[in-house]
Amino acid sequence: MRRSRTISAAALLMGSALILSACGGDGGDGDGAAEPGNIYADCDANPNECNAVPDDQLQDGGEISFAIEKNIPNWNIISSEGNVQESAFVLKGVLPYTFYAEPDFTVTMNEDVLVSAEQVSDDPQTIEYEIQPDAQWSDGTPINADDFIYNWKVQNGEDCPDCAPASTSGYDQVESVEGSDDGKTVTVTFKEPFTDWKVLWGSGGPMYPAHIAEENGGTDSPKGLAESFEWFGKNVPEYSGGPFKIENFQDNESVTAVPNENFWGEAPNLDRLIYRVITEASEQPTALQNNEVQVIYPQPQVDFVDQIDAMQGVSSHIGMGLVWEHFDFNLKNKFLSDEPLRDALFTAVDRQGIIDKTVGQFTDKAEPLNSHNFVPGQDGYEDVVSEFGHGSGDVEAAKKILTDAGYELSGGKLQTPDGKTVPEMRIRYTTGNEIRQNECELFAQAAKELGVTVNVEPTDDLGGTLVEGDYDIIVFAWVSSPFPYSGAVQLWTSDSGSNFGKYENEEVDKLLREAASETDTAVATEKLNEADKIMSEDAYVLPLYQKPTFIAAHDNVANVRNNSTLDGPVYNVAEWGLRKE
Amino acid sequence: MLAYALRRVLLSVPILIASTFVVFVITALSKSPISDLRAKNPPPPERTIELERQRLNLDQPLLERYWNWLLGLFRGDFGPSVQSRMDIGAEVVDRFIVTFRLIGLAMLVALVLAIIVGVISAVKQYSGVDYTSTFLGFLFLSLPSFWFAILLKQAGISFNNAVGEQVLFTIGDSSVYVTGGTWAEFTDALGHMVLPTISLALLSFAAWSRFQRASMLEVLNSDYVRLARAKGLRRGTVMRKHALRTALIPLTTVTALDLGAIISGAVVTEKVFQWQGAGTFLLDAIERSDVYAVQAWLLVSATFIILFNLAADLLYGVLDPRIRYA
Repeated sequence: MRRSRTISAAALLMGSALILSACGGDGGDGDGAAEPGNIYADCDANPNECNAVPDDQLQDGGEISFAIEKNIPNWNIISSEGNVQESAFVLKGVLPYTFYAEPDFTVTMNEDVLVSAEQVSDDPQTIEYEIQPDAQWSDGTPINADDFIYNWKVQNGEDCPDCAPASTSGYDQVESVEGSDDGKTVTVTFKEPFTDWKVLWGSGGPMYPAHIAEENGGTDSPKGLAESFEWFGKNVPEYSGGPFKIENFQDNESVTAVPNENFWGEAPNLDRLIYRVITEASEQPTALQNNEVQVIYPQPQVDFVDQIDAMQGVSSHIGMGLVWEHFDFNLKNKFLSDEPLRDALFTAVDRQGIIDKTVGQFTDKAEPLNSHNFVPGQDGYEDVVSEFGHGSGDVEAAKKILTDAGYELSGGKLQTPDGKTVPEMRIRYTTGNEIRQNECELFAQAAKELGVTVNVEPTDDLGGTLVEGDYDIIVFAWVSSPFPYSGAVQLWTSDSGSNFGKYENEEVDKLLREAASETDTAVATEKLNEADKIMSEDAYVLPLYQKPTFIAAHDNVANVRNNSTLDGPVYNVAEWGLRKE
Repeated sequence: MLAYALRRVLLSVPILIASTFVVFVITALSKSPISDLRAKNPPPPERTIELERQRLNLDQPLLERYWNWLLGLFRGDFGPSVQSRMDIGAEVVDRFIVTFRLIGLAMLVALVLAIIVGVISAVKQYSGVDYTSTFLGFLFLSLPSFWFAILLKQAGISFNNAVGEQVLFTIGDSSVYVTGGTWAEFTDALGHMVLPTISLALLSFAAWSRFQRASMLEVLNSDYVRLARAKGLRRGTVMRKHALRTALIPLTTVTALDLGAIISGAVVTEKVFQWQGAGTFLLDAIERSDVYAVQAWLLVSATFIILFNLAADLLYGVLDPRIRYA
């Protein structure tokens, strides 16, 4: 980043001139671009390799600033508080993990840390991890089975009752974690099969060093585990088990990472990587234009997608991510507990029309999503929605469903088969989210054609609204995952706390649980899609579309590309670099 | 004067306590931080939610929470934040220092400009200078602050492009790394201050220059100024010692009363220019439903406003001998 050496006081005198010049501003030169043009041109066709630059065309070292949208609330990303995207981004190059997700959603073993990871037995399900012999923490302590054991204990919900992990899913199914070969081989045995075993110790929940935990609380007692778990949250990591280490943290401002000189793998290209906190997404394009950051990754909005398109020396790419929007019914509403009414309302909703009037304004890639558990591009994605006509916008078909079920229109109001008028309903969205507001307005319009009045109401407390069931219909988003099987149990089973609309179907519960406890992924996928199909037929949740993700970077930035999974663009942070001038 | 000042301070204490209670109740009842936790994906275990509830004292009745918070203040404990890493007391002080660095300079610039422009406008009433300053004053008054700030940022980028160097910055109060020693750090800090200072200062300047003009006109037309001129005093002496000094009293009142509004206005400036000051601290705290952080902000900002108003009262005495000797 270039520094000012001009006497800035002169700038004060030019204030009024600046205002005038802004009116005719040209949008900037996009300085710093060594290779003009669209560096993301082939990202749709080749998401894992686009903007790849050979080492001999990279500068030796250099610095990149990457905008993140929140301060780091907590340094322990396996804790409920620390489990946020920004912490995960910053620690991606610092903490070791087993598997991560590529931009095309495939799950890949982290070869820096592991030599192999294989299921060696089906009954009981047993996984054997072989750790790289040279893998070590920055203080020289080997990365070994102790680290696996510590991180299992603090997340299994039993060994450390006072730890507050983000999730115990999967770890609570582990019977034992044992080390051999000087701790370089780890054998994990499950009490019952866990289909998503690759998520454990993975990039979403990487490993903290057991030997540091030992020094700051302990690893053997519940009290020691809780103390060390909390310690990791409150203290900036001075340790590293990855290509980068944290050099500096300025609270609310930035985190600076520099290469970890004791990293055993290929050294990072950059001398310094700065994560700059810019909490307003709308301010990130200006910072990019002024070269205060070189890479941004905000949620796309029409105005700044256009703004960035107009910038010279800057490239951008819109991808379709794992976050998906959906309409949910609250089945506690006695009218909505009647399946034909739900069926008809979902049929009357025009998903393509919704897309055209919302995210379709800045991308033509968005299309109706037809699964509750997979997104297009993921192995296992299957259309389980279209056959039921949901989201088609076919009002006549919707009316027929109602008529066949005995509903009638009287004075423009829909009446149930037993003669009761369907009351006015509320559809809710997050305050300030214009896209969701539009989605709700369009739902209400569709419902009106069936004689159902739906009032659109915002909520500034989405979590509270969901938990209390203070809605009839609601629009929000879930994050899908490259590890969908355990997630599906958490979202859809009858007794799950995240099943806010109180959907109940014993058959679905059974299939979801079986899918999450399979040793054969193909069988698990089949069962999950079978459950998904029943859910679609039951018209509980209507998937709308995958939310777009958006990356923009200066043209001289190399090997940085969109990764719409939770790993984000930093999934390959050690490869990031700058093109030669 | 001292007794008066003490009386003013003591009267402020119950008002301060009452306001903290009202804000505590409103914030606590508006939204529970636990509901955000429950809506997380994947959902955290029940035990995690219970631990968080205990840590944030949400297992206590509302009045007991407030009372314990009040008692904690005497020990310097501002209570637990939703962000467990945050020491609310230290954080709120840091944030106010950032904000006062911003509004301090902005107020100074605005005051100096307002006095100069107001006086010249009054002295040269209905001249070209007067009409121009009036036009600019109303223009700045009518500008939405966020829009003006965004316009300024684009202007700053255009300026950088024109000079071929990064002189002005649009984000934060300093660069993460500055090489080149103290001078480079100074120019870097200045480069970060220019745009937000202009953004904040011009809005206050617009209002204050109008006050100063009106006040100066009133004084210039008063009998004692005419008498001073009739006595043969020099024009400069009349203006400086008799007219301006008296005409500053209304501006002093307005400036003191405006402090609260300026702190509020700084929220927009801080957001747009990404200064991590008290304004963004408050917004983030409200968003997180961080009751104790909101309380800390209220306590500190209210204290500053009370002290600033007190300082204004004391300044009257300096500016107007009749008040001093009364």
